[in-house]
Amino acid sequence: MTLDTPRPLDATAPPSFAAVAEELLDDVYGYLLYLTKNWAVAEDLTGETFEAALKKWRRFDPGRGTPRAWLLAIARSTALDWFRSDARRRKREERSEAAERRDLSGGFGEGFSAELEEALRALSAGEREVVALRIVLDLDGEETARLLGISLTAVSTRLSRALSKLEERMRDHDVVA
Amino acid sequence: MTSSPELIHELRASRPSAPLELRARVREIAVTSALPKPAPWASWRFPLRRGALIAVPAAAALAFASAGVLGLARSDVAPQSGAIFNRDRAEKTTLESGTAPNVSPQLAPQGTADAATDNRIQRVSATLTVEVSDSDAVSRAAQDALDLTRSLGGYVVSSSVATGEAGSASLTVRVPVGKVQEAITGLSGLGRIVSQQVTIDDLQGTLDQLEQREAKVRSEIARIRARLASENLDAQTEAVLRAKLQTLRAELPELRRGIASTEAEGRMSTIQLTVATPEAFGSVASASRIDRAVDEALNVLAWEAVIVLGMLIVFAPFALLALAAWLGRRIYRRHEEERLLAT
Repeated sequence: MTLDTPRPLDATAPPSFAAVAEELLDDVYGYLLYLTKNWAVAEDLTGETFEAALKKWRRFDPGRGTPRAWLLAIARSTALDWFRSDARRRKREERSEAAERRDLSGGFGEGFSAELEEALRALSAGEREVVALRIVLDLDGEETARLLGISLTAVSTRLSRALSKLEERMRDHDVVA
Repeated sequence: MTSSPELIHELRASRPSAPLELRARVREIAVTSALPKPAPWASWRFPLRRGALIAVPAAAALAFASAGVLGLARSDVAPQSGAIFNRDRAEKTTLESGTAPNVSPQLAPQGTADAATDNRIQRVSATLTVEVSDSDAVSRAAQDALDLTRSLGGYVVSSSVATGEAGSASLTVRVPVGKVQEAITGLSGLGRIVSQQVTIDDLQGTLDQLEQREAKVRSEIARIRARLASENLDAQTEAVLRAKLQTLRAELPELRRGIASTEAEGRMSTIQLTVATPEAFGSVASASRIDRAVDEALNVLAWEAVIVLGMLIVFAPFALLALAAWLGRRIYRRHEEERLLAT
């Protein structure tokens, strides 16, 4: 399958959904991968996110935010729904004590060193989320705070804690190695 | 940020890319999935904050505009001076008496005289309000009114004169009915007429009833006396007739007093005169049209405020409940999110 190279969004004309999806797919997928630490789940949720976004596309108001922030908000909502259903599923399994515990953490997939992946796994979803938004996707503090519904200070604190943990884990790994 | 640049670099270098299959799937969603045809109303949205930013000033402007328009409209029909008060009072008096229609001398000046000089017995009452320039003029006008009353053969029932910046005088005089027109004319000349009201109550019917009853009582007394004098009555009948005779004789003076009183009412008219300075009438009396318009507009605004306040009182509890529910749900979801993302 041959894919076209994504074209950058034109700042003056209202973007089409296809163009937005093309350009922001990696961002959405990366964010969801960090959040769920499972590439299979991240792929499913990315698909769900764009389906939901397509339905809501007519209501998107460029005056109220960038398409990226809008899509990431939908992705976050989709991921939280998944976390909820996953938590319910886990509870059911714990109650029945019959089902074997499934390991849904299929891994981050390609592109991550073993040390980084291990260090990322040690973080909570909230910490991975802020690393993804601020470092990987390079969102500014205000945009991140708005997306997460927390204060700018909370974003900085959470990011600082996450990076410290990551560094510590990476250092430990180097020492062990 | 105190993290090492190597870590940041590694995180950025390992930025995930969507797999080709996923990219194709999303592209398929974006390209081949036809956007659902929107309903005509789907594109219409009501942005709450922007709506409120427009609606609140618009509602305030509408309230002020309506108050202004109503104020201007009502200022057209506002009466001059204190006539409202006096006219209202005069109408009330007539309603209370409920026997004769009002006759306004301003509309029919001769009507008063004609009515008063009619052969029928009538109670004539007049209320007159006159405005003079200052407190001294009030005293002079009061004195002139007393002199005029006496010169017409009348007398003063009550008199009250208050001096000062807002000076006023209140007099009640009685003058012969035949001179009432002359009295009103004279009293009206004491200053600027603010209001006049003449009320005529017909007393002829009352007088006729009293006179008929008197004639009947007299006739009855004569008949009983004749029976007592001529017939040979038993003791019981005689006692009954004498008791009845005594009752009728006692009634007769009452009837005579009633007739005399009614005739006296018909002979003398009562005039209530108020003389006052413009200050005594208050600011309403000298209000210009602009002042009246402002007053009316303020009244309308006050009513609008009362209505808004009433609506707030009614709806505030529901709004508070809705707000509390919304805040509660928001806090719950925030905690839930934190719990979910803590794993």
